[in-house]
Amino acid sequence: MITGHSPIARLGVQVATPLAIVVGVYLLFAGHNNPGGGFAAGLVFGAVISLRTVTGLQRPSYANELLAAGVLVVAAVALAPVLIGNSLLDQGIISVDLPFLGTVKSGSALPFDIGVTAIVIGLMLAVLDGLGAADLGDSTEVKLGEKRP
Amino acid sequence: MNTLITMTIIGPLLAAAAGMAFRRSARLRDISTLTGVASAAIASFGMLWQVSSNGATAVRVGAWNPELGIVLVVDLFAALVLPVALSVILVVEIFAFGQRRTAWGANPELTGPLLSVLTAGVSLAILTGDLFTLFVAFELILVSSYVLLTHQGQREQIRSGMTYVVMNLLASTLFLFGLAIVYAATGTVNIALLAERIPDLSEGVRIGIGMWFLVVFGTKAALFPLFSWLPDSYPTAPTTITAVFAGLLTKIGIYAMIRFHTLTGMDDLGPVLLIVAGITMLVGALGALAQNDIKRILSFHVISQIGYMLMGLGLFSVAGTTGAILFLVHHMPVKTVLFLVGGLIENHQGTSALDRSGGLVRSRPLIAFLFAIPALSLAGLPPFSGFVAKLAVIDAGVEGLSTSIVVCALVAGILTLLSMTKIWLGAFWGPSPETGSSTTSTALNRKIMTGATMLAVGGTLTISLFAGSIFDLSQEAAIQLINEDSYITLVLS
Repeated sequence: MITGHSPIARLGVQVATPLAIVVGVYLLFAGHNNPGGGFAAGLVFGAVISLRTVTGLQRPSYANELLAAGVLVVAAVALAPVLIGNSLLDQGIISVDLPFLGTVKSGSALPFDIGVTAIVIGLMLAVLDGLGAADLGDSTEVKLGEKRP
Repeated sequence: MNTLITMTIIGPLLAAAAGMAFRRSARLRDISTLTGVASAAIASFGMLWQVSSNGATAVRVGAWNPELGIVLVVDLFAALVLPVALSVILVVEIFAFGQRRTAWGANPELTGPLLSVLTAGVSLAILTGDLFTLFVAFELILVSSYVLLTHQGQREQIRSGMTYVVMNLLASTLFLFGLAIVYAATGTVNIALLAERIPDLSEGVRIGIGMWFLVVFGTKAALFPLFSWLPDSYPTAPTTITAVFAGLLTKIGIYAMIRFHTLTGMDDLGPVLLIVAGITMLVGALGALAQNDIKRILSFHVISQIGYMLMGLGLFSVAGTTGAILFLVHHMPVKTVLFLVGGLIENHQGTSALDRSGGLVRSRPLIAFLFAIPALSLAGLPPFSGFVAKLAVIDAGVEGLSTSIVVCALVAGILTLLSMTKIWLGAFWGPSPETGSSTTSTALNRKIMTGATMLAVGGTLTISLFAGSIFDLSQEAAIQLINEDSYITLVLS
């Protein structure tokens, strides 16, 4: 539908996708000490996915798997400290000296954030599927440069 | 204690994830979600046992100090309410296994995982020691409840679901604003710190905060005049969903109110709470009388009964709070059982409308028996738990010299008995409907459903049986809430 009317929207989304993904990845890694985090990253990825859906571009289709995996990762990170006798959600921090990047500090908050991102993306996909958003994209398939009938 | 808390919050979440991963295999999915809820329920009983023998505990999540981080507090109030709430969900899950293949069953692919998420939300809401986590827990409960309420996609459900979603979103937004106000005024959202700092605020700010949260929690608890979303939306959902919602959701609102308003010393709001309580009781009970459908009658009674709990809170005395806590503990299972019996009737007769049913005493005496016990308990007749709970609340009212609210409570009690009689006359006595039963369920399904209901009735009878010791525990919990010092030292030191 949208594609049929506007190849510009489709091309725009196609071009913007890699840029938005870079922003999302940045937010994911920045989240620990700066504004950002797993939820914000998930929203950026989710926005990309919704735009790709309504313009009829390819997008991942495993909503449930992402949701389940996300919750499992988050729960595992939350639970791990309890197993070794610390309090729930306690975190471990490691810092490594890497070539080019300098000292990188990270910890168990990173997998937790990745889990949150997976949940947000999974939820977004599930909502899009539930609302039948894919129909917006593929009702009229018009390739760029082709004349519409 | 750390492990027990983990089991009640993370356990159901893990179960929800497993239920989602095993979406295709019904057996694995059911086993994993049931295990999650069951282990949470067992853990909560362990918590009650530990707290009543060793005293309350507070757990700092991630070992952050309470100024910054999240604290989970297991005081007697939480330990008393949590096992009842989780057992209610467990019984309903078992009932759902029987009901799912009938026309009224909820879609098990969704309800299994979502009920688990709701369980985690309920545990978190009860255990949390700060307002922001309470907000998150409310959202966890609400988001799953939106889906559970409307997932069958019937016209009625979507229509009343809209009211439900809009009202609750509004309340959530107000909650968020309230958090900002509280943080601006005191610099914290931790309840123990608030208990220290709110009494020092100027009177206007303090009462403003109290009223603000009265509206927020009051919308969730369906107080007058904020209850309009409840009687429309609850009856449209599948029985199992309604049973959980009626038993738990409004009660979580009143739980939050009891915790917040007692600990922060909002005694000045007492008269307002009592007036609202009186009107809520009467409006709910009168509304119920006008209905002609079992589920709608019971939905109005949810509102009426909330009034009693608010009355106990509004007295701001140890006796009143004891009554409110006891009422909360009594009310959750009783209300759920009544809805489950409503589901049994619906399954047997094909409808829950009173004018199209009848004669159940002869055709299904067991259902009549299962209805009679919780109905009498709801109306407050001895020797059931409802009598003890109502007596405690009314006694506290007499002690506090609040005559008019006591009269309201007694009148509402008689009206409750009247509408229970109405259900009894309509559904159990009289001639059987000509249409006959239109059940599509197998014998095994019926057995599971009846078994789950019997289990729940057994639970309410157990509460009646141990009413004495539960009263003592409630009293101790009330003392801890009214004298906030013990709570403050528990969390902060």
